[in-house]
Amino acid sequence: EAKSSAIASSQIFHSDGGEMEPETMEIKSVSEYFTKMHMGSVMSRQ
Amino acid sequence: MDGMEASCLDLALEGERLCKTGDYRAGVSTFESAIQVGTEDLQILSAIYSQLGNAYFHLQNYNKALEYHRHDLTLTRTIGDELGEAKASGNLGNTLKLLGRYDEALVCCQRHLDITRAIYDKVGQARALYNFGNVYHAKGKSSCWTGAEPGEFPEEARIALRKASQYYEANLCLVKELGDRAALGRTYGNLGNTYYLLGDFENAVGAHEKRLLVAKEFGDKSAERRAHCNLGNAHIFLGQFDVAAGHYKRTLQLARLLKDRAVEAQACYSLGNTYTLLQDYERAIDYHLKHLVIAQDLNDRVGEGRAYWSLGNAHTALGNHEQAMYFAEKHLEIAKETKDKSGEVTARM
Repeated sequence: EAKSSAIASSQIFHSDGGEMEPETMEIKSVSEYFTKMHMGSVMSRQ
Repeated sequence: MDGMEASCLDLALEGERLCKTGDYRAGVSTFESAIQVGTEDLQILSAIYSQLGNAYFHLQNYNKALEYHRHDLTLTRTIGDELGEAKASGNLGNTLKLLGRYDEALVCCQRHLDITRAIYDKVGQARALYNFGNVYHAKGKSSCWTGAEPGEFPEEARIALRKASQYYEANLCLVKELGDRAALGRTYGNLGNTYYLLGDFENAVGAHEKRLLVAKEFGDKSAERRAHCNLGNAHIFLGQFDVAAGHYKRTLQLARLLKDRAVEAQACYSLGNTYTLLQDYERAIDYHLKHLVIAQDLNDRVGEGRAYWSLGNAHTALGNHEQAMYFAEKHLEIAKETKDKSGEVTARM
């Protein structure tokens, strides 16, 4: 019988318990803030 | 706005553009120049700190990411920007998790959740719940014994993993209500991995199948590949080796499509092991040889050692003792080189 049957299944297939999905980082956008700021000043002039 | 202000803003906008294209190194340098110039607009400064933290996060420099997300948190608290504080707490929590500082990360997740609940921000709440699940998942995994089988972990790990599944379930309720299919897919993926570690392979398969559906819906090949690989692993533990082989084959096709050689090697290795379990040693040898070639190309000595060891086993099973001895010797040579004591002992067996 092959030796591989004697070792842990977790070691022969992967070592980290599955592939995780990416983290979701929060975004603070300078361009969006600038657009809002710019639009605000245009609106206040009208 | 004076000249200095315009210059800081210009640099920040350029840094943002560079990060969006994936050039985080240039983005970091540009954002750091923007800080050097300085700005009196504290919202812009908060955005720069936050994006610098995220850029360092993507570059896997977690200590620098921590530094900037901390600056952002302090700033948002000082100016009383609650939404900004929630976002900074979320980013800080993700960073602390990757640094293995789980208890501090959980405090950040709680702050993220508390603020988003207080301001009735459901999207933010869902993200906080997802982050919470991820921290508990990582905490649980960190408490697992090395080499232990899924489902056979210490109680401390199981408690953390059960907490993770509860937060993921709570997140699922919200993202379903919000109709956020992309978030739904991500959560099913991580929930599947949590069930897997808890030894609940049927539910793991169910969650990964749902993740696979969403990945296909978005044409997200990387997510599709991850789902197939995770499905393969879960089916192995269910003893459904043929089904597992099908998923690993799809993983291999997608890895080739995505030109990801390391993942291609991993898929070949998994296929080799699966065919060993199916006692189809010729096919096992074919995949282990494919794995060996890639491991050599990538200069992955540990992978190469594993390939030799597996090839030795398969040839032993076929009664090819001469070839088995050749591969066992190659494995021993690498085990010595990589100071893999357990591997060396196995090789001498």
